[in-house]
Amino acid sequence: MPSESGHLKFHCGASRSVAKSKMIVIRQQDKKDASPLSTLHNATTVNVTKEMWKSLSFVQCWPSVIQGAHSKCGSVAARRNPKSDSLPSPDSRRRPPARWSQGRKRGADGKLRQQDDADSTLFDDQEKGSYDNPHLDQRPPSFTTPEAEGPFPRCSDWAKCVEEEELRTDVRKDMQRYRRRILVNEIHDRERKASSGSSDSRDSPVPAELETDERVLMRRQKQINYGKNTIAYNRYIEEVPRHFRQPGIHPRTPNKFKKYSRRSWDQQIRIWRVALHAWDPPEEEGSDLQAIEPIDLDDMEVESGASGSTESETSSHYMKACKAPASTPENSCSGTPNKMRRTENEMESAFDLGACLADTEDGSLWIS
Amino acid sequence: MENATKEEYKIQSFDAKTQQLLKTALKDPSSVDLEKVANLIVDQSLKDQVFSKEAGRICFTIVQAEGRQAGSNVFRRNLLNRLQQEYKTREETRSRSVQEWVCYVTFICNIFDYLKVNNMPMMALVNPVYDCLFRLSQPDSLHNEEEVDCLVMQLHRIGDQLEKMNVQRMDELFFLLRDGFFLQNELSSLARLLLLEILEFRASGWRLSDSAQKYYYSEVTD
Repeated sequence: MPSESGHLKFHCGASRSVAKSKMIVIRQQDKKDASPLSTLHNATTVNVTKEMWKSLSFVQCWPSVIQGAHSKCGSVAARRNPKSDSLPSPDSRRRPPARWSQGRKRGADGKLRQQDDADSTLFDDQEKGSYDNPHLDQRPPSFTTPEAEGPFPRCSDWAKCVEEEELRTDVRKDMQRYRRRILVNEIHDRERKASSGSSDSRDSPVPAELETDERVLMRRQKQINYGKNTIAYNRYIEEVPRHFRQPGIHPRTPNKFKKYSRRSWDQQIRIWRVALHAWDPPEEEGSDLQAIEPIDLDDMEVESGASGSTESETSSHYMKACKAPASTPENSCSGTPNKMRRTENEMESAFDLGACLADTEDGSLWIS
Repeated sequence: MENATKEEYKIQSFDAKTQQLLKTALKDPSSVDLEKVANLIVDQSLKDQVFSKEAGRICFTIVQAEGRQAGSNVFRRNLLNRLQQEYKTREETRSRSVQEWVCYVTFICNIFDYLKVNNMPMMALVNPVYDCLFRLSQPDSLHNEEEVDCLVMQLHRIGDQLEKMNVQRMDELFFLLRDGFFLQNELSSLARLLLLEILEFRASGWRLSDSAQKYYYSEVTD
């Protein structure tokens, strides 16, 4: 009916303008907000709307609209009723399955388990500190997105999760930079060989020989971070810019992308950190740290690239000697080289010490 | 210079002593008790709506400053611990004070927006933020204009980022919003308008078309 629809349009239009004016007022109140709509500050505006709403017989036009909508989408609404909980009740969901049945396709009777089997393995591997709250139980325990690698488990400790995430992304960034670096070096090597005809025994490590296991890389990076977050390291890098570093004298950060055994790596780290102690801040006034005895490692240099996993007792003996704590930095400086010289003949190739302290082609130049 | 800092980080609502502490934290984080600073910031965010909308920025600056100066993460760790604590008690907070609850949601979303890790949003916050938005989409919250306003504001600010992190949950959230829009009786007209706008906003790829912009935000002369 034309009059009815005219009536409808009038009321809708009037109500619309009221609400819209309110939206605009809010927007003006909060210009700095990125969102055009923002918190309500003006209580009076709210009341005006409600009053006007009641006075307009606006409500009259809605029922017909809603009826129509309901009849069309009634089934949809019923299906998607937020009240009814299609998810299992909290209790049944939280009950863990009997151990034996975990992950098994078949039940005890040999029959294949159905999807709604109470003993199935669909139980949350949620955070241990999960709280029982009816509102919260509506959320599924994990979520998958098509783009993601898999479901995101909820973390029980946000701070720890974020730190781990940061470590992981740092490591990935480093990996990309390192790979690019190798490629660049490879190209340079090839050009050099082509033009000079010389053969270079110090080739860049082939990408296939890189350490790529993220857990390993993250662990190593954490160890490096401990060393770098020291006063000694900060003083060291301030005092000795990278291009002034001399092999054997100046400690070099171990290269986490090279393949090493776990023990070999841990030892490299220990040696590096001990060497860094030379730059510890003076404990008392006047102690002189400038005179650092160069660590004579030339006799001990071993083949780079070796990554044997065997360790001999002499190695650990060597390490014990190195780890002898010194009361003053000077002691550790002067003491260590002597001890190292003593055991030099007992060195094993597993150390790959050369890579740590000598000048290698790729080095740690990329490490900032 | 003084006022610029105050203005940039919106710390006007703090008392003078605290403002000074915050300014020091920005320049020389190692010299202050960062746990205390984190608590001060969280406490204020729960009380002050203006601050809760922009607190992320000052937090980010302190995190950066501490990282550069000391290579540590004390401030961020404490901040996240507090945030997580408040998250666990959010239902009680909401029963006690809707305003505080709304401040909390604004704050955690702001942190999500600003505190990036290697230029990526913090994964750890994705699900908690979604949880908060889901809560805001429940019928009881939709009847409260304050909460609807908060909901759509957050979606305007971080909706696209959230969606990238987890499309599935965003889809589910919008199922709820559609339901809320046409199934809930007696929603205020403003609430419905806000919901309609956010539905359109997302449908257009997290931006408003020119005509929609004109419809929702131009001065009305009927």
